Amino acid sequence: MAQISVATLAETVPPTRAPHEPAAPARGLSWLNVIGLILPLLLLGAWELASHLRLVSSVFLPTPERTIESFMDLLLSDNFQWDLLSSLNIVGQAFAYGTALALALGIAAGLSTTVERAFGPTLDGIRHIPPIAWLPLIVLWAGIGPLGKIIFISKVVFFPVFLNTLQGIRGAQKEHLELARVLTLNKRQMLRRVIIPGAMPSILVGLRYGASLAWTLVVVAEGLGGMTGIGFLIFRAQALLMTDQLLVCMVVIGLIGFAIDYGMRRIERRVLRWKPAFEGA
Amino acid sequence: MTELTLAPSGARAGQLSLRRVSKSYRVNGRILPVLDGIDLDVEPGEFVCVVGASGCGKSTLLRLIVGLDHDYDGEILLADERISGTSLTRGMVFQDHRLLPWLTVEENIALALENVASPAAAKQARVQQHIDLVGLAGFERAYPYQLSGGMAQRAAIARGLVGNPEILLLDEPLGALDALSRAGLQEQLRRIWISEKITMILVTHDVEEAIYLADKVVVMQPRPGRIARQFKVELPSPRDRASIPFVAVRQRILADMGRFESPAPFAAARTLPAA
Repeated sequence: MAQISVATLAETVPPTRAPHEPAAPARGLSWLNVIGLILPLLLLGAWELASHLRLVSSVFLPTPERTIESFMDLLLSDNFQWDLLSSLNIVGQAFAYGTALALALGIAAGLSTTVERAFGPTLDGIRHIPPIAWLPLIVLWAGIGPLGKIIFISKVVFFPVFLNTLQGIRGAQKEHLELARVLTLNKRQMLRRVIIPGAMPSILVGLRYGASLAWTLVVVAEGLGGMTGIGFLIFRAQALLMTDQLLVCMVVIGLIGFAIDYGMRRIERRVLRWKPAFEGA
Repeated sequence: MTELTLAPSGARAGQLSLRRVSKSYRVNGRILPVLDGIDLDVEPGEFVCVVGASGCGKSTLLRLIVGLDHDYDGEILLADERISGTSLTRGMVFQDHRLLPWLTVEENIALALENVASPAAAKQARVQQHIDLVGLAGFERAYPYQLSGGMAQRAAIARGLVGNPEILLLDEPLGALDALSRAGLQEQLRRIWISEKITMILVTHDVEEAIYLADKVVVMQPRPGRIARQFKVELPSPRDRASIPFVAVRQRILADMGRFESPAPFAAARTLPAA
């Protein structure tokens, strides 16, 4: 039997220092959280300068102070909040109806090629006519009240949600479905425990996009008809050359849109907490 | 919902019999035979390992037994009844753990009890019992992406056992793991089998794994898949991979398998005395 020699290279000694603590996520006033505020602050500064130094006429660019005054005026004497709520109401309803229909049809079409073939060509045709081309017809049929706007916005919200849902359902992995069969899950259980959770990443992308889309479209919908809502206020301000009111409306629209997307992102993070996120290279 | 009572485990009734099982696939218009005339009996509580090179149909065999595929000739009987479709009496562990990514470890294991009629508290207790059995205590609320390959596979094994099946089928369960995890899990699998006494059929290409774990080894030959030889492994437990009887059995099996591949590497092995 050959002699086998084994020489010890090093014997590990238990460490005497404390174990490594993983880096804590950035909180509060750290650089990473504050960096997003730099650009807006710079823009605000530029605005201040440009308007106070009269680089641009005050008709085209009122000062930030004037804008804030205008905001207070609108709020206190012009029932701005009423218009805002009217817009939010329309967008909320449109989003609800549009996504409900899109989710239902998307799931049905995802599960059954028959359904997809039945509805597919029609939906594809409708989808390719731009929303703005639909608006005159919708207004003609449904009038300039809330109904017409809700129909218009629902239609636009429908498609991204429908397509993403369809794709999400179709992406169900064969391995998971086989596992479900081994566990004797019936079709309903498979849908609820395997197919839909697996489709959630796609579905949520569609919902997030649909939500922002719905909010930005409210200006279009309200601009082309009706007497209420923040979109109407924008066009009225343009007609009356009240640029300060115009800016107020734009800023408010932007802030609300940001809040909506932020809310959706939080929901997404909660629902998709099982997915390891890619934080960038 | 099947009425599967959560009785404590013990040797369960039900001999598995395969009679003249054959299967072919249609590929590009041609017929490709995958299994040809498989005859196999598995006694209750037995640990059977099926070894063979790639393409010998061993995974297909498992899929037929678990009921994922019913297009075959011949009969598969469990306790003298033809099997039809999947059932909670036949559990399976896949090579890729197939834990659902959106469920925690305990939710994944509990999914196997979804169709078992039993109060929630009893199910919860049983899930926890199996989490402890495979050594994942403390990771109940972890998501699969947070687990290592070995841990995920252990969770999959717990899921396969929690419903108290009569037979557990394992399709190369340790194939995707590194060598160290594999050795550890083989040990754990054997201990679990000893304590749970569930019939196990494990498919592997690792001959040592088969000898280490099995009561009976079934050697399959490829193209088309047939059983070349079956024999009982009568080595005392715990089995020592370095012992001479172990190595002799290994050489014997490799020689058998080598007969169906190129003969050269195993020519020497054939001169060894039979174990």
